[in-house]
Amino acid sequence: MDLLANLGNGFALIVGIPQITAIIAGVILGILAGAMPGLSPSMGVALLVPFTYKMHPSVALILLASIYIAANYGGSITAVTINTPGTPSAVVTSFDGYPLTRKGKPGLALGTSLIASTVGGIIGTIILIFFSIPLAKLAVKLHPAEYFALAMFGLTTVASLGGKNWAKAFVAAMLGLLINTIGIDPISGVSRFTFGFFRLYDGFSLIPALIGLFALSEVFLRLEEHKFARKVAPEAAFKKEVWPSVKEYWKLKFTILRSSIVGTLIGIFPGAGATIAAFLSYDITKRTSKKPETFGTGNPEGVAAAEAANSSSVGGALVPLLTLGIPGSATTAVLIGALMIHDLNPGPLLFKTNPDIVYSLFASLLVANFVMLVLGLWGSRLWVKVTKIPKNVLFPMIMTISIIGSFAVNYSFFDVASCIGFGVLGWILKKYGFPPAPIVLGIVLGKLAEENFRRAVIMGGYSVFFTRPASLIMLIVALLSFSYPLYKTYRERKRENEVASN
Amino acid sequence: MKKILLVIVLLVVSSLFVFAEGKKEAGANFPTKPITIIVYTKPGGLIDVTARKFTDIASKYTKATFVVENKPGAGGIVAMKYIMGGNNDGYTIMAATKSNIAKIVSTKADIDPMDLDWLAMLMADPECVITNKTLPINTWEDVVKDAKAKNGNQIWVGPAAGGLDHVVAMKIWKAFGISAKWVPFASGGKAMAALLGKQGVAYVGNPRDIAGKPDLKIAVISSPKRLKEFPDVPVFNEFGVKGLDNEVMWRGFVAKKGMPAGAKKWYDDLFKKVTADKDWRAFWEPYGIDVVYYPSAKFNEVVKKDYEDFKAYIK
Repeated sequence: MDLLANLGNGFALIVGIPQITAIIAGVILGILAGAMPGLSPSMGVALLVPFTYKMHPSVALILLASIYIAANYGGSITAVTINTPGTPSAVVTSFDGYPLTRKGKPGLALGTSLIASTVGGIIGTIILIFFSIPLAKLAVKLHPAEYFALAMFGLTTVASLGGKNWAKAFVAAMLGLLINTIGIDPISGVSRFTFGFFRLYDGFSLIPALIGLFALSEVFLRLEEHKFARKVAPEAAFKKEVWPSVKEYWKLKFTILRSSIVGTLIGIFPGAGATIAAFLSYDITKRTSKKPETFGTGNPEGVAAAEAANSSSVGGALVPLLTLGIPGSATTAVLIGALMIHDLNPGPLLFKTNPDIVYSLFASLLVANFVMLVLGLWGSRLWVKVTKIPKNVLFPMIMTISIIGSFAVNYSFFDVASCIGFGVLGWILKKYGFPPAPIVLGIVLGKLAEENFRRAVIMGGYSVFFTRPASLIMLIVALLSFSYPLYKTYRERKRENEVASN
Repeated sequence: MKKILLVIVLLVVSSLFVFAEGKKEAGANFPTKPITIIVYTKPGGLIDVTARKFTDIASKYTKATFVVENKPGAGGIVAMKYIMGGNNDGYTIMAATKSNIAKIVSTKADIDPMDLDWLAMLMADPECVITNKTLPINTWEDVVKDAKAKNGNQIWVGPAAGGLDHVVAMKIWKAFGISAKWVPFASGGKAMAALLGKQGVAYVGNPRDIAGKPDLKIAVISSPKRLKEFPDVPVFNEFGVKGLDNEVMWRGFVAKKGMPAGAKKWYDDLFKKVTADKDWRAFWEPYGIDVVYYPSAKFNEVVKKDYEDFKAYIK
């Protein structure tokens, strides 16, 4: 088979000091960038792009792809240890990762996240290598109506995320959608709620919002507990780390496999991305679980679902980039620039003109996942120590890093101010029991939903959502998946009331 | 762990400074310190590539140090405001494109482009209509015929409404007496994906957009005569239509007004050398991009005309 021969050649090409150094350096930088709130995978890659302009194009691509892969795992480290997702997609990892840490089992959460990330990354890469061409053909066929239906389906996860608290989760998601309306209208170009203030033309950036809602709000909450230094944190109570056994990992095999496939598929669609992949696969895992009520309280399956999905989405996002020359995510858009400076044009022709570059990239993606596994296993012993940092040292540090991180997004103090604003908002919401995660979901999906709704209407009128079978089916499934948890909660309440009245 | 992380980050950051200062050497008059080139997008965009390639070629002719700094936001308004609020000593310039002018008009930003000093235009990238070879309608004649038959329901895909490509589309429609629907996407790439998926008939962009994409073709291009890089692609005047021969996406440099004469002369000299450089030309010309050197006076005229043009089309 040509493909296997080319792939073998790719492996031969990456055996070299510059290539291996690029992989190892990329993985280390990626993990750090991911773990750093404020540096999303795309920014981690973007920061390194200028340094690759003088490198051999193949080494440059290997370095950047390794960062991309590792950053998606890195985000889970801070999500698990200090409830501060380092990347947008790690928001989902924190749902069960942080409760595990609070239970004194950060090792279980970190180990699960690492294994799920590695396996997810490998599955995503394998799908990329073997099925990229048919999948890319499918991806471009997707009409805006279907994107809208996908966004609606994503929003329905609020119903199951919120559980009994669904009304508050719903309000939070609506808030995210409203925040999304600020900025220049994506279709007509009209300014909305910007009040002529040019910093608001692009709306609020996701990263400062994320840092504010998760990291700063947590700091503000803890500030209220005076003298927290003297308190013995529950995390300090455990003595020996609990690292999961192979048997425990094996139990997660179906969750990881399913989430990896979902993650890769979602990653392929230009504009969807790792965050939506993580939310959807978490939701699917929770709904198909025999014990859905354990999700959100520290179920390793939740961590595995989120991490396998966001890591496998990397392979997915590379599908349209390599086979069509179209960036499917913010990070692949940066990769295109890195290729352009070397006068390379990603697309189907690249496989013919520069097979060495394509196949050494494939080989390096597989190797980078193993390097990440090794470094992660070694590093987890280090990450877990974060949970032992006294709170009076940790929280000022989180505050500092949050401010630096939000500044780094656009080098703008406006983002720092909005991060603090979101911190206060998150603090108020948490105090009243509103979960911050649906806000992120609303911000991420709002854009996808709005733009594609309006695009679909321009292209085919309002009926287009119902006349296209794929869109209709997805919308029906979305409606069912939204209403079923609500119906279930309603019935449970009714039963409880009956029991109480008896 | 955070401490270790912080130390590593600091090390990386400080190594960047070492890297940036490494090439520093005292110049005669100008420049005596590093020059900052502001790029209005994140690293990786075409304008970022332009700025960095420029510094790369420029290093053949000058020992000056260039630092490329990305100041993304609001389609260049953040960057323009930044240079306007800075010094006019010549040490900060911005890599700009025609899209920045469209953005000023479409957002009604409180910037008058004529308040800036447009130093030099370095390239003119012709606008073109791109179609999908695998669709039955892919020649320009067929697109026009189909547009007339569909009576306003033909679908064109492209980047944001009120941008350069949208305005060019409107000009084309007017000149050919046709109408179509403009469906804007979040980026040119996503719009091209829709064209590849046969969701629209035409995309407005530049010849470089089809590089590496064998299913796409240029149906018609804006140029006075056929380009030698694309001998099979017709130009608008072949269809008996006037006024569409010079629709280009330009890229160049801009600075705050009032730069010292010595600095300006130094830049003029450098721009002349870089635009004549064979590596610089070889990097752009294969994509049909016209590598030019329009000095300040001529460039300012171009910007003025474009500004008036956008004001007429974007309401």
